[in-house]
Amino acid sequence: MENNTLLKVNDIHTFIGQFHILQGVSVEIPKGKIVSLLGRNGAGKTTTLKSILGLAPPTQGQVILDGEEIQGRRSYDIANMGIGFVPEHRAIFRDLSVHENLLIAERKKGDLEKKEELIFSLFPDLKRLIKLPGTNLSGGQQQMLAVARALVPDNKLLLIDEPSEGLAPVLIEQMMEAIRQLSAESTVLLVEQNFIVASQLAESYVIIEEGHSVKSGKMVDLAADPETIHRYLEAA
Amino acid sequence: MENTSPSPTRQNSFSDFFKGNRGILITILLLGLLPFILALFDGQPISSLLANDPGKSKFYQGLAIEIFILAIYALSYDLLLGITGLLSFGHAMFFGVGAYLTGIMLKSFGWSLLPILGLVAVAGVVMALIFSIVLPRVKGITFALVTLGIAQVFYIVIQSRELVNYAGAEIGLQGVTPPEFLNPISHRLRFYYIGLVAVFVVYFILKRFVDSPTGHVCVAIRENEDRATMLGYNTFYFKLAALMLSGIVAALAGAMHGLFSPIIRPGIASSHYTIAVLLMILMGGIGTLDGALIGAATFRLLSFWLEKWFGGASQVIIGLVYILLVLFLPYGIVGTWKLRGYKVKQGWVDLIERFTGKKQET
Amino acid sequence: MNTLISSFRRNRTFWITLLVLIIIFALGVRGLVDQEAEGGERYKNVVITILRGLSTGSIIFLVASGFSIIFGLMSVLNMAHGAIFMVGAYVGWTVAVRPDTVVDATTPIALLISGFLLVPVWDQIIKKIKISPALSRLWPWLGLILTLLVLGFLLPKYPITSWDVGSYEISPVNFAFAASQGQVNVPEPEQFQGISPLIGLGGILLGSILAGITVTGFVASRRPTTAGRAPQPGALRKSLINFIIVALLGLLLYIFNTPISNFLYTLDSTWLFIVAILVAVATGAGLGILIESTLIRPIYESHMYVLMLTLGVNAIIIEVVRSIWGAPEFTMHRPSVFAGTGEGCPAESFGDLLQYKCSTIRILGGRVRTYNEIFITILGIVVLIAVWLLLQRTRLGMIVRAGVQDSEMVKALGINVQRIFTIVFSLGVGLAAMGGVIGAPSTGLTTTLGDSLLINMLVALAIGGLTSYPGAAAGALIVGLLQQFIIKYGQIGINIPFVEEAFKPSPPLVPAMTVLLMVVILLVLPQGLFGRKE
Repeated sequence: MENNTLLKVNDIHTFIGQFHILQGVSVEIPKGKIVSLLGRNGAGKTTTLKSILGLAPPTQGQVILDGEEIQGRRSYDIANMGIGFVPEHRAIFRDLSVHENLLIAERKKGDLEKKEELIFSLFPDLKRLIKLPGTNLSGGQQQMLAVARALVPDNKLLLIDEPSEGLAPVLIEQMMEAIRQLSAESTVLLVEQNFIVASQLAESYVIIEEGHSVKSGKMVDLAADPETIHRYLEAA
Repeated sequence: MENTSPSPTRQNSFSDFFKGNRGILITILLLGLLPFILALFDGQPISSLLANDPGKSKFYQGLAIEIFILAIYALSYDLLLGITGLLSFGHAMFFGVGAYLTGIMLKSFGWSLLPILGLVAVAGVVMALIFSIVLPRVKGITFALVTLGIAQVFYIVIQSRELVNYAGAEIGLQGVTPPEFLNPISHRLRFYYIGLVAVFVVYFILKRFVDSPTGHVCVAIRENEDRATMLGYNTFYFKLAALMLSGIVAALAGAMHGLFSPIIRPGIASSHYTIAVLLMILMGGIGTLDGALIGAATFRLLSFWLEKWFGGASQVIIGLVYILLVLFLPYGIVGTWKLRGYKVKQGWVDLIERFTGKKQET
Repeated sequence: MNTLISSFRRNRTFWITLLVLIIIFALGVRGLVDQEAEGGERYKNVVITILRGLSTGSIIFLVASGFSIIFGLMSVLNMAHGAIFMVGAYVGWTVAVRPDTVVDATTPIALLISGFLLVPVWDQIIKKIKISPALSRLWPWLGLILTLLVLGFLLPKYPITSWDVGSYEISPVNFAFAASQGQVNVPEPEQFQGISPLIGLGGILLGSILAGITVTGFVASRRPTTAGRAPQPGALRKSLINFIIVALLGLLLYIFNTPISNFLYTLDSTWLFIVAILVAVATGAGLGILIESTLIRPIYESHMYVLMLTLGVNAIIIEVVRSIWGAPEFTMHRPSVFAGTGEGCPAESFGDLLQYKCSTIRILGGRVRTYNEIFITILGIVVLIAVWLLLQRTRLGMIVRAGVQDSEMVKALGINVQRIFTIVFSLGVGLAAMGGVIGAPSTGLTTTLGDSLLINMLVALAIGGLTSYPGAAAGALIVGLLQQFIIKYGQIGINIPFVEEAFKPSPPLVPAMTVLLMVVILLVLPQGLFGRKE
């Protein structure tokens, strides 16, 4: 079982400014699977992702990637170990063209060339827009670009934050399809508000509530457990 | 000292005032006795002291007066930056306006002191209004740049050839004769006590302002301006109020400087003088009025002694002290003092850890 | 067409402001046309003033561009930028006048730097050695004390043949004049006093290695134990090679000090000028790395403290310059290609200019100084394009543009943003130093040089928009033109209606006008002309 775990987050505590945001979050992600972080707004899901990446370094606990402790390292070192990040709010670089947005994610020369085919098969729109500056993209296109950017280098693990947020239903379908295809190649930790999307994509879940990871298990079981859903996920 | 509990009944307010400001009142008392103590150590008889004969006491009175002037100036800047959170790089302009107006009015127009002080206060308000033109439009760093620019204009104008008959161009304004009863040479002891009273009057007025509802809004603006706006305050008026009060106080400090110092140099209106006041409140502790007083004293004494020991290199050393302060003591003397309860404990824990290599249970 | 109109609607204020500026500019130009002169001569004043404006603008731009990129990327308002401009000017002047001093000073500096290049090596060694935590916290302090003792003992003894500030202050004019005539006697290089050179040089090298070890120790004691990964293969060897190269450079310069100094003295002033630019840029960039990595990096989350810090650095640099070079004002002479006055001068055409290397050229009847007005302007345009290409066409530029918007995401992509910050900071500061050398022959050298430029630059950036690159260019251009027009009008006077006498603003009042313009523009467009609305 142990060899099969790609990322193990063990009881981390994280402060942002003076606020104790994470007060003991544990997540375990098996290789090649999609795990979804669930929870209400402000529960600490995004902070968990940032803590894994070292953008908001945890003050306590361990983050173990492939058997190696990575907490406390510099963010770029952690990212270079093979973690891709798709931030919320489609944080693409608006002043850069679509092509540059992909190019900047290269870790070594030629990364983009290798992945171009895969990216354009997942998001055919991007091929057409390649020369445009990021500002001119629609919300959905920006989201696709943000996901595509994380695909450019070879990543063991993708951290995806709210991919369906603010997207039209058709685009959500397309995004889900893309993420599904991705999980064939790498492992995904998905933060998703939309429970329907999460339940269709992920095999297992972790629920975070007020900075604690309170419940985890198989997605199938959660879907059959309306009481838990009501208690932790529906708007209070 | 900041968190004096509000007085439960009206009758108790006096004793509360004494309790709450014990430190300050003792300081005032000590400063009041200072000239006599110095004279005592120097072996100068009291009659000679009262006659303002030269001696150690008189020399240090002069130094203390400079500190008082700087303290008033620092208090005014602390109100702006520390309390309201407005970063202005043009504060020296207020000081310069006060000093130059006083000098010019005394020398070229022969006004008497009271109307001059009134004029200086008005000038402070006018200058604050000039700053406030851009206040609703620009925030943060751009405001700092605009104020820097405007102050620089004043600095240039004061040195210009056009005004040489009044302001004395680069050399500065010389030959101002202050009114006889306030002559800093023949009546220095009197000047000293007036300065002392002025500092603490300003201190208590500003303290009162900070504790007033207006002051509370100013602090709220510093903490989070958007939230203050959302609470329904028109933040512009509060910032303007702080700017005006601070402008008046700084201009009056400048007027004192104009009365006290033999030459009014244009340097007091330059950006270096703004940096100096920044350094003072940084030393003392931003946002604490006590800090402004302590910072001004530390700054003046430090530069006095450094100049004595190192001569020309003292400026570099002051700069280094400033940088070290920013890096390692950002809360200043008073701020660090207030944190001491927490810090001292933490310091002990660190020290023990350092020598034993073990983590102590706390 | 539709998009044009809609963009016009959206940015109405911007276009109207621009229009007003152009109208003011046109009126200014019209007022300068000399109605009494014939034909081309009429536009003499206009041409000269515009060229001067472009040149002033170019200098401002050289400094402002670096400042605005640094601010955009790191949110650091580097108030020491003007001071480094000044350092560039002084260093360039020193290279041009006293190259031997520069050669003398390079050796200890190279030796001091070399030790720090070994830091990665020590880092690996320290990791291998297991010592108790108490000791690992203590020994860097011991190292620091040892380093200070060694360097404090040796550095003051190091023989740098420099000038005596005291005797300078008495007659700086004579000195500069003699220097420009090539009449400075090359002073004999001084020798180590009281110690053998071997001990002196070896000691400084040892001190710098100790300093490197100390820094490694301090950094390591702050870091969590698990952090840091194995170095890339070859990284250690590379740092070792760098160390050897730099240390060797220092030693070679010491051994061949006299021949190199003599060679530099024989150089033509144009070549010396190029050397001056290189040395000044290297000095500026080096200072930039030093300031960024030691002072700004620990605190650059808190912008206000960084601002105060750089103000302090500014004051220190000015004081240090004052103590090294003294208070007098210097003039720097133009490189020989732009200084010809003999036959065929002033040049009538660009062909003549190239042939006779004239200091002036006649354009539309006006005598234009080649260096001040033409060379500086062209250089400004070259830098404008070069930096633009760097931003648009290189990976570094791409990362900078991305980082301006969201440096956290750049980090998350696996890019060492900290290193990019250091590079950008040193490049920007180096550009300012270059501006200092370029500007020195036309502005002269004073210790207030930096401050007045800083004000001009801030005004230009506030007008153009603080973080916008085209904004920096436009702002610098506007400020430069405005200043020169006002100076020109100060000479001929402005006819104000209903006032008998023409108003002649005196030159010191010129910056005041630009500040006024800044306030007006900020009232209309709080983000500046090209700034982005947040």
